Amino acid sequence: DNMHRSDNRGSWEFQPEDTLTEETGNFPSTLAQANFKIMSESWRQHRKHVFVLSEAGKPIYSRYGNEEALSSTMGVMMALVSFVQAGGNMIQSIFSDEHTVVFLQKGPLVFVSVSATRQSEQQLRRELLHVYHQIVSMLTQASINRIFERRKNFDLRRLLFGSEKVLDGLLDVMDSDPSFMLSAVQCLPLPSSSRDALSHILQKAITPDLVFSFLIANNRLVSVVQEKTVLEDARLKPSDLHLLFNLIRASAFQAGEIWMPICLPLFNHDCYFYAYVAYLDPPECTVCLVLLSTDKEAFYAVAECKRKIEEAFASQNALQWVANTQLYYVDDISVANLRHFLYKPSKVLDHHRQLSQEERIRLLDPYRNMHNRIHSTSRPLKLIYHSAGKETLLAWVTSKFEMFACFTPLVTKKSAISELTKLLRWIKKEEDRLFIFIYAFPLTFQSQPCKRQSVTQNVKK
Amino acid sequence: MLMISPRMASGMQEKQYTPSLLSFFIYNPKFGPREGEEEKKILFYHPIEIEKNEKIRNVGLCEAIVQFTRTFSPTNPAKSLHTQKNRQFFHEAEENYWMVMVVRNPMVEKPNKDGKPPTVEYQEEEIIDSVYGSVLQQCYCMYKLFNGTFSRAFEAGGVELLTQKLEKFFYRYLQTLHLQSCDLLDVFGGISFFPLDKMTYLKIQSFVNRVEESLSLVKYTAFLYNDQLIWSGLEQDDMRILYKYLTTSLFPRHSEPELAGRDSPLRPEVAGNLLHYGRFLTGPANLKDPDAKFRFPRIFVNTEDSYEELHLIVYKVRERVNVMDLNREFCEQLDSLVGPQLTLLASDICEQFNINRRISGPEKEPQFKFIYFNHMNLAEKSTIHMRKTASVSLTSVHPDLMKILGDINCDFARVNEDEEIIVKAMTDYWVVGKKSDQRELYVILNQKNANLIEVNEEVKRLCATQFNNIFFLD
Repeated sequence: DNMHRSDNRGSWEFQPEDTLTEETGNFPSTLAQANFKIMSESWRQHRKHVFVLSEAGKPIYSRYGNEEALSSTMGVMMALVSFVQAGGNMIQSIFSDEHTVVFLQKGPLVFVSVSATRQSEQQLRRELLHVYHQIVSMLTQASINRIFERRKNFDLRRLLFGSEKVLDGLLDVMDSDPSFMLSAVQCLPLPSSSRDALSHILQKAITPDLVFSFLIANNRLVSVVQEKTVLEDARLKPSDLHLLFNLIRASAFQAGEIWMPICLPLFNHDCYFYAYVAYLDPPECTVCLVLLSTDKEAFYAVAECKRKIEEAFASQNALQWVANTQLYYVDDISVANLRHFLYKPSKVLDHHRQLSQEERIRLLDPYRNMHNRIHSTSRPLKLIYHSAGKETLLAWVTSKFEMFACFTPLVTKKSAISELTKLLRWIKKEEDRLFIFIYAFPLTFQSQPCKRQSVTQNVKK
Repeated sequence: MLMISPRMASGMQEKQYTPSLLSFFIYNPKFGPREGEEEKKILFYHPIEIEKNEKIRNVGLCEAIVQFTRTFSPTNPAKSLHTQKNRQFFHEAEENYWMVMVVRNPMVEKPNKDGKPPTVEYQEEEIIDSVYGSVLQQCYCMYKLFNGTFSRAFEAGGVELLTQKLEKFFYRYLQTLHLQSCDLLDVFGGISFFPLDKMTYLKIQSFVNRVEESLSLVKYTAFLYNDQLIWSGLEQDDMRILYKYLTTSLFPRHSEPELAGRDSPLRPEVAGNLLHYGRFLTGPANLKDPDAKFRFPRIFVNTEDSYEELHLIVYKVRERVNVMDLNREFCEQLDSLVGPQLTLLASDICEQFNINRRISGPEKEPQFKFIYFNHMNLAEKSTIHMRKTASVSLTSVHPDLMKILGDINCDFARVNEDEEIIVKAMTDYWVVGKKSDQRELYVILNQKNANLIEVNEEVKRLCATQFNNIFFLD
């Protein structure tokens, strides 16, 4: 079965698009039938396919399978999009008993998701938007638009060569991590005094054009510091952080350091930051430092910052704080029927979870379904209580928080409510330790006589 | 359909458009497989004024979408297509015969200042696929009831006969679709049963047996009171669609004179016989007139196995209706036999009806707003819908709440387990959905300050009074 990635980059000859729909604008009946033969059963079994193609119908990425072999399938997709467009309308999705097909067009790129996960159309479209943003994080929106303006038939795979694993990684993590559903970032619980001390160390390691400093441990955010003038302009969105984390994960390096360009699409989709990334604790490599600068040439200066941070950490034995962090257990607060929960305060980037990996991933499906119902644009809800065979689920949105919880199936409503109340009280008590409030008050750098440039003026081409 | 809601004080109004039928067509790709033959695939197309090439393009799009989804699942192709402006529903009624219904999305037109054209906002989330998908399937069932299957028509008279039948039926039927008021009940397609005490029920049964015995041409009988079914000898699926026809089309047409006063006698021109109150709703309007021609509508039942074509005779005494299927006319015999006996039965049943009324209380504002459906016997009961006619199904709750019921029903359909879903809506209404062993119950509670436990207690109380022999999850 030849369903592996294509080795041919940029040399693939493409049929001009007008063989797809004839002059009369009809679909040649042979075209749609042709797809039938090449797809193997194993390819069909995949839970979620994602395709990226250009407006010209040229394949760019397919999560599973060889995108060249899929070129006629992608051609059909593009034909469906243009056909509906020609009628002054816009195609959105197709539903069948087992699958949902969702379309998204952003500029010259078209995204299609074929999913058997029973997620809602809105959720699937948001995932496609993340895929688009991840591509933007590597190329910037301005250059994507410019390239296709000049050459509609351009093969974007030439620029994305080697980046398929970034998109693969993003799709995998979206299927297993509730962060995306909640649009939040999970943070490492730390006593606020420790967190403040770490932030202080990061703040002091400054150089011109250094805009953001992140400390990440075990894929959870420990601390984030940003330059004061930037704070006035814009806020960092969780989605951008997810893309950043994903890029770092995909580069899969261990020792040493990386210096790579990255665009944060929701922050500024047309310019690059330059990210210095290094692990502070080789060879375990669980604590990662990320410094974002707007100056392409600043590698040595930024590396120097890292050295200062390492020194300060060593002198205070800061890495121990991170290693020692008390991962709380729900047992502590005697809630016998509560198996798992996610909690997101309304103003802040954060959530929590507790359970085995496979269980958590399985819970994502019903959580996402409830999330979709509760946040419906036309008939939103405040509370959902769903008791089913395997478990009892609860989703609750108030002005202060949103939360999802999973109980044993035979729990009575009285117990569920009382355990939930206990949980909420506990969360309130531990608030400082559990969440990062970065926008509740402004952070400042220590004064250093350097000229600071605002990011918006420093657009790199 | 257009509804105007005054929003701005300046006199400029926001216009709300409800979902409406854009087009409806039936095609079979096998009839025109080669290039240049596309027009032959189209067996029926509404609206007829659409230009030929556009019809071909629209059918081609449907074919392409069905084929595209077969790439991922050969046995489960597309059921609906969502676009910004409209929604298309696909139903393969018989092998290779496809029916497509295109519904325009509800939208809001907001006026703009300075003579700019109004901005249109489409509300896609308002349409629930399962509801309109069921409406489309019902279109086929209704056609099949009166015309038999597509393939039989094709076998009997080729494409010409088939297209003729389709044209004749759908041209009228599509006009009766009221898409703006479809809801969960359309998904169920249930039957409202009339609860009777054992004695009266047995009387009715023996009456039916006597009729079928003495009039050997009678194949099946169904017995209704008002709009509710008491007994049926037909297969469930056949009875279900026949019931819909009777209650939304035939009965409303004939009940007008009686709406004036329930207890007043029938109008003189209709009563042919002073010995009883019976008359035919299908067939002869006046038995006394020997020259009057009449026909009984033909219906097709048991299409899966025996495929029977029968005549539908609907005979009504006051509010009681007897539906019988026959092979030939013989109305006088029927009239003289059935009329008097039915009239006698009538008073028994009427008494029961009054007893039921007393139990359930005045119909003004039912104590509990709920919808109940049993998948096994298709029994349905709703205290939310006030009057079902062909044109409109009035509900006493906000349409958004009905859509929430539709959402819960979709969630229930995903798994084959007993479940319960309780939801608090933005307006502080509580909606409780319970599914147990082929039965579904939806309750709407308007209790702003209630919490989950209190709501639970309320619903338990409802179940104890109305459904005390049915186990629902706690």
